[in-house]
Amino acid sequence: MAESTGRSTAHAGMFPDLRRDVAFPIVGVGLLFGAFIAVGLLYQSFFSGAAERLVTVAMIDAIIVLGIQIYVGNTGVLSFGHIGFGAIAGYTFAVFAIAPAEKVKRIPDAPLGLTDVDMGSWGAVGVAIAVTVVVAFFVGIGLARSGAESGAVAATVITLALLFVTHEVARHWPELTGGERAGLSFRIGGKLDTRVPIFLALAGSLVLARLFAQSRRGRLAKAGREDDLAARAMGVNPMVQQMIALLISVVVVSVGASLRVYETGSILPENFFFNYTLLTLAMLIVGGRNSVTGALFGVAVMTVGRELARRLGQDGFEVFGLGLDSAPLDWIFRENLQTVFFGTAMLGFMIWRPKGLLSDWEFDEWLHRRFTRAQSAPAVPKTAMGSHQEARLEVSDVSVVFGGFQALSQSGFEVSSGEVVGIIGPNGAGKTTMLNVITGLVPATSGQVRLNGTDLIGTPSHEVARAGLVRTFQNLRLFGSLTVRENVEVTRLVAIAEHDDRSTPETDVLVAAAGLWDHRDRRASELDYGNSRRLELARAAAARPLFLLLDEPTSGMSDTESLAMVGQVQTMAALVSAGVVVIDHDLDFIIGICDRIYCLDRGSVIASGTPEGIQADPSVQAAYLGSSAS
Amino acid sequence: MTELLQNLIDGLGRGSIYALLALGVAVIFGVMHLLNFAHGELITVSGYVAFWTISEGWSWYFVTPVIIGTAIVTSLVIERVAFSRVRGSSDFTLLLTSFGVHFVVSAIFLLYVSASVKTFSEPGWVADTFPVGSLNVEVYDAVVIGVTLITLLATSWLIQRTMFGLALRAAAADFDTARLMGVRSDTVIRGAFALSGLLAGIAGVFWLMRSGHTTPSVGITPMLKGVLAALIGGLGSLRGAVLGGFVLGLAEVLLRSRLPDSVASLTEGFVFLLIALLFIFRPQGLIRVAHAERV
Repeated sequence: MAESTGRSTAHAGMFPDLRRDVAFPIVGVGLLFGAFIAVGLLYQSFFSGAAERLVTVAMIDAIIVLGIQIYVGNTGVLSFGHIGFGAIAGYTFAVFAIAPAEKVKRIPDAPLGLTDVDMGSWGAVGVAIAVTVVVAFFVGIGLARSGAESGAVAATVITLALLFVTHEVARHWPELTGGERAGLSFRIGGKLDTRVPIFLALAGSLVLARLFAQSRRGRLAKAGREDDLAARAMGVNPMVQQMIALLISVVVVSVGASLRVYETGSILPENFFFNYTLLTLAMLIVGGRNSVTGALFGVAVMTVGRELARRLGQDGFEVFGLGLDSAPLDWIFRENLQTVFFGTAMLGFMIWRPKGLLSDWEFDEWLHRRFTRAQSAPAVPKTAMGSHQEARLEVSDVSVVFGGFQALSQSGFEVSSGEVVGIIGPNGAGKTTMLNVITGLVPATSGQVRLNGTDLIGTPSHEVARAGLVRTFQNLRLFGSLTVRENVEVTRLVAIAEHDDRSTPETDVLVAAAGLWDHRDRRASELDYGNSRRLELARAAAARPLFLLLDEPTSGMSDTESLAMVGQVQTMAALVSAGVVVIDHDLDFIIGICDRIYCLDRGSVIASGTPEGIQADPSVQAAYLGSSAS
Repeated sequence: MTELLQNLIDGLGRGSIYALLALGVAVIFGVMHLLNFAHGELITVSGYVAFWTISEGWSWYFVTPVIIGTAIVTSLVIERVAFSRVRGSSDFTLLLTSFGVHFVVSAIFLLYVSASVKTFSEPGWVADTFPVGSLNVEVYDAVVIGVTLITLLATSWLIQRTMFGLALRAAAADFDTARLMGVRSDTVIRGAFALSGLLAGIAGVFWLMRSGHTTPSVGITPMLKGVLAALIGGLGSLRGAVLGGFVLGLAEVLLRSRLPDSVASLTEGFVFLLIALLFIFRPQGLIRVAHAERV
């Protein structure tokens, strides 16, 4: 026991597993970086002249796309606003980096005496990051609040409005931005004399993007991406994770935007608007938005595609002696082919392959699987791993009215730690509504839910979970594109932060206890029905709750499977020393597992007692047989 | 007082167009949970039709029905070609599909027509005014407000009193259940796109009458206004969308006339600030829509 406590302590930090979450990502990202640069330099040596610029531009695009990936990929919220943040960073950089002698020509009367400020490029990048992060913080509050209320769609509209407004302000505030046509420019026509800053920024963005995705915060964010409601029910507050992801992503975008302005040698409102948003989003989507490898791959693929489109649009070209004349294609290949290319690519991928070329595939995860020896399943202890905690849940007089329908009236039940209590009743009796009230998903019209004396009515879902009430879902709400292990690990991360005693069982032990060891690296969406139910159970138990609330854990299972579930629920509850409240239709299962049973009918408790007593109760029989069998 | 009344009329005129656009956005959001970033393309296409017909010498009286018809047909074609293939996909996919449609449509005009601005003559009466007491009311504003009111009443009748409206409302409340109850999803979705096209067509006529020009990206601004107004009103609520349109129109006009001249050109920025504040304090928008998510 002492050993496992020691190991857990190491897991409580920013990264759950240093080898998998830090060492491998850094190695993997290093190799990706090398490959990307190598391809670029190779291309450059074949095609001289403009090729060099193309490679530089691709690297800068990659930095910005990675910045967007940190937010969009991990939170699942589509943002059109990141190029708007880029515009803010780009203009800030330009205003602070351009020498006063130059600025006098374009913006002689800049507000706040900015005309005379001379900070040099490095200082200007710092200011650009600071200004953009502050703006992002306030935009982020609006995003999180409206997103929580009206869904991610609302957040997306706000990001679009941000993009539009930064563009409007840039156009109509010539005193600061040089206006729509002139813009701001550097005197030396914008050649970076060295690529070192770009190399550094690209490598840094790759490392940051990968480390964030693997970190505790990143994993919590991904849980929210997969299923916002389930994440809340496990104790994760997606609003907080989204804000952190936004701020980190905006830092990367600011660096990328500053480099872009410096490389171009000028900035105009048009540079950071719709077309660049389309370009960067298309790169991200085509490669695979959920994966850093995918984002980088997308930049490479789309850069090649864009270059082909550009050349075809001009005059055709020659590759290795193979000439391609675009004259016969004049009816379509005109100068604006690039926009058509990006628009069509985005539309096509959305229709036929919305998760992109690489989907969720991550290079270093593949490396990690290749270079990690197969382990045998850990032993599942028969007794609780943590200190036993006395707890009592009292639900009393709860009423819920939906419109004119009384779903629950004055119902309640009690359960103490160590007990297994069942709630049965015909369809529509209000069983699931009861769990929804307890876990804060449905507001109660009246009544109390007391956990160790504290009333939880009105407490947000994620705080109910943290207080010790964690549920499973009847209609399965797993984190689909995360693996079985990751599903369990995410809730375990919440538990570790909440409980100081570090006695939450290891992820592997929980996975083995649920009988899912052989499936541990499969994605949850690939599991069959029975295994999905077992994963729901393990994921909830990983939160180390005081009470596990199980919503029809055997629904859809065969008789053999549901009998086996009795043992699995008991093992799991013992492992985390939790009391159990279970809802089910399957009477054999309920009678096999429960110490006490409550029977609900049409929103009211009509009977309660021992399994034997309930079986003999005439009113229960009447409710189940649907007749007044008196 | 006079100035405030004047602003009110201007704001209602502007808000009417936004309300029509927002209602079209909300109708489609209701049936397929798609926030249509390609809504403005209906105006882009209409703009080129206006340009071609008017340069042929057509009068606005004939151009108007042609524009409205074009918008309806375009809306149905876009549904058929793109949106019908992503029905039931995630919000993310739906949003980016509409974003992609926006670019493909504007790129078609970019490629085959040109990137430059195409102008056409506005109807002669657009700039005319008539006095009401101490106010000067533009004929244009009066027409816009009048036609919008009639359109909204007719739409309200359509949605409240017809079988199609019932199907539309049922689908908006719970699409899957509505299908099980015998609502034909194809019919109701196409109907919604036709209705959305009609509303955008009417808004488009007004928009183009005033602006007198079109470009491949002319649809962006009306799209943004419509989507924002729908969001301000409360996503999913048809009444909210109309309300949101009027609120946005009034806010723009009032801000523009009240802000000092030096920053008047930044009105859009201030409007955004107000919207951001609204969402921080009332994230569900003006009218709350109950979200029925089964757990």
